[in-house]
Amino acid sequence: MKSDPIKSLDPRVGRLPQTDNPTKPPLDQFSTFEVFVQPAPGKPFRHEGPVHAPGLEMAYVLAKEAFTRRFTCSSLFVADTHDVHVFAPDEQSPPMHDMADKAATFTTFEIFQLPRRGKQAVQTGAIEATSPQEALALAHRQCTTTPMPYAFWAMDRRAIRFTSPEEQDFWQTLPDKKFRDAAAYKGGEKLQRFLDTPR
Amino acid sequence: MYGGGTTFDGAGADTVASEDPGRLQAFEARIALGEKIEPTDWMPALYRRQLIRMIEQHAHSEIIGALPEGTWITRAPGFKRKLSLMAKVQDEVGHAQLLYSAAETLGKTREEMITDLISGKSKYSNIFNYPAYTWADACFISWLVDAGAIVNQLANAKGSYGPYCRALERICAEESFHLKYGHHCVIYLAAGTPQQRAMFQEALNRWWQPMMHFFGPADKLSDHTRILMKWKVKMATNDAMRNQFLDMYVPKILELGFTIPDPKLAKNPGTGVWNYTEPDWEEFKRVIQGDGPCNRERLEVRRIAEARGRWVREALRSPRAVYSMPLA
Repeated sequence: MKSDPIKSLDPRVGRLPQTDNPTKPPLDQFSTFEVFVQPAPGKPFRHEGPVHAPGLEMAYVLAKEAFTRRFTCSSLFVADTHDVHVFAPDEQSPPMHDMADKAATFTTFEIFQLPRRGKQAVQTGAIEATSPQEALALAHRQCTTTPMPYAFWAMDRRAIRFTSPEEQDFWQTLPDKKFRDAAAYKGGEKLQRFLDTPR
Repeated sequence: MYGGGTTFDGAGADTVASEDPGRLQAFEARIALGEKIEPTDWMPALYRRQLIRMIEQHAHSEIIGALPEGTWITRAPGFKRKLSLMAKVQDEVGHAQLLYSAAETLGKTREEMITDLISGKSKYSNIFNYPAYTWADACFISWLVDAGAIVNQLANAKGSYGPYCRALERICAEESFHLKYGHHCVIYLAAGTPQQRAMFQEALNRWWQPMMHFFGPADKLSDHTRILMKWKVKMATNDAMRNQFLDMYVPKILELGFTIPDPKLAKNPGTGVWNYTEPDWEEFKRVIQGDGPCNRERLEVRRIAEARGRWVREALRSPRAVYSMPLA
């Protein structure tokens, strides 16, 4: 049964096709990817949040829109949530890893710390290790901050989509977009003139 | 406000009595100390359920809230206003993404939330079921509806759930320009021609009741509400937030020479509490239940967007991708 067309103030709504099926068929979820932003050159990367995407490259594009369209950014990277390994010292025993395997090859892991509950994870450096578990165990052992951070995160650099040098001009025009700044809307003078005019 | 659907349906089956007392005590002690709860922490079922409901409704409100303003982008007066409004609408949709992700860390997938929105099962802020007839309506939304949302968001940013607080901090930082932009638009209408002034006055008359509805009916101070306040899920009563809004914005509206359509509206100088005519709560209930001027249009626009975008999502979907809950 066709329902009555919608009467809307917006002419585009009147032109919409009719949909008689009010529900949406289920579609498998996209994967989630974690987004890390460097606010200025030389500053550590910070975890900003996740995006949903069909793959690493699309995740990068969507992350750029969702997390770096407003505030300064000098670089951005994303990693599949599955590739971010987490260890919370208060709640888990240190991760087990096999130290005996001397033949194992070393790779570089980016290490983040979540200083305490409610904060954002912040990059603290990189560690060479043979597995994410080993990287987390080393990061924990080498950590001298008190109190101990709430959690450590480790990501294999090979699983990360970094910003390439030629992409770094993505954010150059951000400071020009003054219309997204509260400071661009100074109504005070106009208001004062209006208040001073006898009515 | 958000999560307020319980006003009209019972509190549900989750009871605090069935929780493990030791874990509950540790959880409550953590909140009492001002610490945040993270997704991997133990939490009572009621806490999880209420937060999902609240954050999800907040997310839907951002996405649906972008619609009445979005329809004014092409008709905004001048290039500068178009640019600003476009950036604002883009922000609102971005905020929905942040909020869906925060709700997702509690175990409900984004897909389920969108399905519940377009099937009408989940609610969103009632005020967006009213139409924006003129440019002045769009200005009312940008200034005063956003002001109301900011009162609520600043309160909730001090809540106990880490991912929601992080999303709200970001949202509040991004929204600082919305409020200034909205006020700027209204100052220009107020200082403009008699027709412009009349246009805003008419918008104010139309929107005042929905604005008073916005924070929700007075809370019944039930055990349920008390527990949610103790767990820092609900940070202030609906009346307290409404009062704060009136305190901050009534003087600014009056300063511009407009009249608020409520003869009883006045602040009690002794108590600092605003007296006002109770808005029609029967209408509020009716609109929440689907019978408002734009309910059907708002959901239909979302449904069609889903239907039209489906082929893109299907084309992009990787059969090897395995969904995982976001980290934080």
